[in-house]
Amino acid sequence: MKRQHEDAGREGDCPVAMGLETGKGKMVPMMTTGDGECGVDELLAALGYKVRASDMADVAHKLEQLDVAMSSDDASHFPQFASDTVHYDPSDLSTWLDSMLCEVNSPLPTLLPSPTATAHCSNGHSLSISSNSTVTKDSTAAPPSASGVYDFEPVPSPAAASVGRVVYETDPQSEKILSPRDSKRIRTCSSSSSSGGPTKEVASFLKQATAALPVVVVDTQETGIRLVHALLACGEAVQQENLNAADALVKQISVLAAFQRGPMRKVAGYFAEALARRIYRHNPLPQADRVALDFLHSHFYESAPYLKFAHFTANQAILEAFAGCHRVHVVDFGLKQGMQWPALLQALALRPGGPPSFRLTGIGPPQTDNSDELQEVGWKLTMLSENIGIDFHFRGFLASSLADIEPQMLLEPEGKKGERDGGDEAVAVNSVMELHQLLARPGAVEKVLGTARALRPRIMTVVEEEANHNGRTFLERFTESLHYYSSMFDSLDNGANGEAEEEIEEQRRHREMADAYLGRQICNVVASEGMDRTERHETLGRWRERMAQAGFEPVHLGSNAFKQANMLLALYASGDGFRVEEAEGCLTLGWHTRPLIATSAWRIGAAAAIR
Amino acid sequence: MRRPEEEEEEERSSPGWRRIPINDNADLLAEILGRLDGRSLAVAGCVCRLWNALARREAVWEVVCYRHVASAGASAAAGGTRSVVAALGGYRRLYRLCIGPALDRLAGVRRRQGPAAAARHVSLSLALSLFSIDCYERLGGGGGRQQQPPPTSLLFLGKPVDVS
Repeated sequence: MKRQHEDAGREGDCPVAMGLETGKGKMVPMMTTGDGECGVDELLAALGYKVRASDMADVAHKLEQLDVAMSSDDASHFPQFASDTVHYDPSDLSTWLDSMLCEVNSPLPTLLPSPTATAHCSNGHSLSISSNSTVTKDSTAAPPSASGVYDFEPVPSPAAASVGRVVYETDPQSEKILSPRDSKRIRTCSSSSSSGGPTKEVASFLKQATAALPVVVVDTQETGIRLVHALLACGEAVQQENLNAADALVKQISVLAAFQRGPMRKVAGYFAEALARRIYRHNPLPQADRVALDFLHSHFYESAPYLKFAHFTANQAILEAFAGCHRVHVVDFGLKQGMQWPALLQALALRPGGPPSFRLTGIGPPQTDNSDELQEVGWKLTMLSENIGIDFHFRGFLASSLADIEPQMLLEPEGKKGERDGGDEAVAVNSVMELHQLLARPGAVEKVLGTARALRPRIMTVVEEEANHNGRTFLERFTESLHYYSSMFDSLDNGANGEAEEEIEEQRRHREMADAYLGRQICNVVASEGMDRTERHETLGRWRERMAQAGFEPVHLGSNAFKQANMLLALYASGDGFRVEEAEGCLTLGWHTRPLIATSAWRIGAAAAIR
Repeated sequence: MRRPEEEEEEERSSPGWRRIPINDNADLLAEILGRLDGRSLAVAGCVCRLWNALARREAVWEVVCYRHVASAGASAAAGGTRSVVAALGGYRRLYRLCIGPALDRLAGVRRRQGPAAAARHVSLSLALSLFSIDCYERLGGGGGRQQQPPPTSLLFLGKPVDVS
């Protein structure tokens, strides 16, 4: 029975923990605590290792510590191990482990091996240690690597609520029975190691922590799960204002994140940074100047389909609403670089019946420097319209918050109305990811929606992130945003495909900027509070309620928009993962099963129009 | 084995056969070249000056573009489309920047997932939208800014098809 389990364990092995490429190892058969012969364990003796049966659990424990310590250390330690000859006789396994642990945890190689520590695992553990390296009896060879795959059964303790949580062996109760020399050794080890000994740090603060925090020994494949657990635990700790625990967890997260590749690493990195900012109460991210923000935004525009999807679907809705109108006016709540409008202009130029005369009012935040971004954008759009033959007028508004805008400012001045023919102009209001920022101030979003309604638009297009990052408690927001941004980063990662296309150097730079753009959002959601927290995303359902309250009724986005969105996505390299879905007339774009951005269209409700 | 001259003899004697030197009739040649795909057309433009001139004709590229995109009611709006496309940079540029890379991308998808998966195609309206965005990006800012960042909106399509 023992052998069978061992075989099964070996099949499921993952590659040896990183860096430990001594090339030789030992195969340790499964040990159970019930093996108790007195004296030396027979199986290990057959391999040349003398371990007392009573020490088995302890030896296993130290092996696991060594593995963690070695795998989390800098690479600088490894050459030392790889090139040195045997320091200590490995046949006495437990003392050898003690000395190895000391070496790994402190830079001084001169610590004497101490007698076996008497700390022991809590009952009920059954450890199976197996590695896929060959047996060697040659004790003059380089020290055998102590890496391996550890399969823990979950501890049947009340504190361990979920699989994968293990109560750390050096429980407060067992700390007392450590010999003084051992505790001194542990103390010196931990003081001299910075990030190299996370196990020791965890042990030290566990005395203070009330809850049993999850610390699972590493299997490199499971570090991802550990990382998520650590992130969630840190979120909980912050929620409970347990800043010491949170602090230690943040450090652990940073260490674990280094194991990961790709999107998980980035997500963990950004969240760790945001959590650190929150814990240490650093000032919120300095308000980056407009140029930098625009820069990041335009890179995000390029590298991910979300903004293009938003623009194309909104444009389609506006185009259909403007059918047959000769004078049109579009109010854009967040003009930024104006990337949405060339496509609409071109579509209007090519529509049957010829283009209308087009007026655009763009709203943007005030400038910090002297350049007038809004006017530049207007100028470019004017040039484009001249080229393609559309009668175009532009007006720019600077407003630090949308709530400052009054409807009178946006409506056409009275005097000019009579001069133009074609009757009244048709108005469309467009808001791409602008409304959620208003939620920081109570009453602001209602005012803005009222302003929009006062313009009597034919259509109002609203694009918002599809997430609930405005929950009442921090933990709610934290977990929601963790899921959201994980999906988001996953979708940006082109390597998700089996046959990843080569990324041009430029594309990679753009992606890094896009990552930074999302990183700022993460920081805002996690680290800021009150008026500073502007990234207050809400779900489509909540926005529907708000729009209904403001007197709007939904307009179904047609199948043209759906088809165009699908075609657009087919052109993206990782097009497979993206899903366009239709939900009660609104279109959402998501990554696999998770919708990430939603476009909806609205017009003034019949009931409200009568008022 | 029949010798080439014998074959020619046979061909010339059959009724209705007439040699048409292709290089004498530019419009005919243009008509033929218009049936090529983008890359082949670009290659054809390297043959000689006459072919090069023809391969640069907007009309030829217009035919190529229309053949590769699906558009509803193209013929009806063709006149207006022509002027807009010309204003945005021309059909050859449209192919090079938008349609060509898009077709390549879709072909890649087809390769990866089998022909059934890529039932999607490039639509003219989509291509024009992307084209207009690119054209917009290339417009310079007003006198103030010295360095222009290169247009980036089409980067997601991959490298532009080399049709120069």
